[in-house]
Amino acid sequence: MDNKTAEGQVIVVTSGKGGVGKTTTVANVASALAKLGHKVMVMDLDIGLKKLDLILGLENRVIYDIVQVIEGECTLKQALVKDKRFPELHMLPAAQTRNKDDITPEQVKELCAQLKPEFDYIFIDCPAGIEQGFRNAIAAADRAIVVTNPEVSAVRDADRIIGMLESANFKDIKLVVNRIRNDMVKSGDMLSIEDLMEHLCIDLLGVVPEDKNVVVSTNKGEPIILNDHSQAATAFNNIARRILGEQVDFPTFEEISFWNKVKSLGRNLFPGN
Amino acid sequence: MLDFFKKIFNGEDNSSKGQANNRLRLVLTHDRLGTSTQLMEVIQKEIIEVIARHVEIEGTPDVKIITEGRRAALDISIPLKGR
Repeated sequence: MDNKTAEGQVIVVTSGKGGVGKTTTVANVASALAKLGHKVMVMDLDIGLKKLDLILGLENRVIYDIVQVIEGECTLKQALVKDKRFPELHMLPAAQTRNKDDITPEQVKELCAQLKPEFDYIFIDCPAGIEQGFRNAIAAADRAIVVTNPEVSAVRDADRIIGMLESANFKDIKLVVNRIRNDMVKSGDMLSIEDLMEHLCIDLLGVVPEDKNVVVSTNKGEPIILNDHSQAATAFNNIARRILGEQVDFPTFEEISFWNKVKSLGRNLFPGN
Repeated sequence: MLDFFKKIFNGEDNSSKGQANNRLRLVLTHDRLGTSTQLMEVIQKEIIEVIARHVEIEGTPDVKIITEGRRAALDISIPLKGR
């Protein structure tokens, strides 16, 4: 692979709260990077409650799982599922009938150490919660993506997760806001991107609008990024490009430009602040 | 500076978004400190007891947490009675 970097990066996608779109984010950002020709691995660490195989439409191709790899029942290579739509995308499935405690952070580190030379990006789909599953998921990660929704309980959990990532010495923590509705932000009934940035104080990596095409894609087991006409697809493709280091502008909403005006007014009134 | 604008906006902002922001500000500050939202009342009461032993307090002391980014500081203002 021409663009294979010396050593792959491990990126954990986490949120605290369940149901905010972690797995959808992993599936689509990973597919988008694979579509661009990068060698990508997705690792489902939601042991006992696996979803990634289903979201990616690979559920019928799973033979072995991560716990079997760790317990030596099969080789790592045997457990990897290749995605026929994206030749560069590989998945290591979670076990459905086991528990989070059946693997340890050290074992996840060891697996990632084996995968890093072979892949450009290794995405870890973190389970909801802050217990063993979370500790396993962050153990080997170089970067973290926190997914949240513009909703108070999701923001509170995201803040807790960010605090825990900072305690674990993460330097690169970025925010993805999923399921935002600009009409509701404009009418004053939904937290805006600016509000979320103010509360969570981390850099923004992506903004994914609420999009019914996501439900349709999930029903079919197809990544949404294959749907060129969907807003969510554009958002996930943009996230992939930002992960590669490209500067991709965020779509400007009226809400944001209004706040910028207020802020610049403030700077003019109070210079030096 | 930001607080100044926050106050203006909070004062006028009775939208559900404004309420969400106000509730989040309070709850995140206390989550980060690992304290309960009743902490300010307790601190206020105890500070008054300590200060009142030495000087006479006029009015109600103001105890609040100010935040900048993910950091927080305690801001205490105690009006004292002059002779």
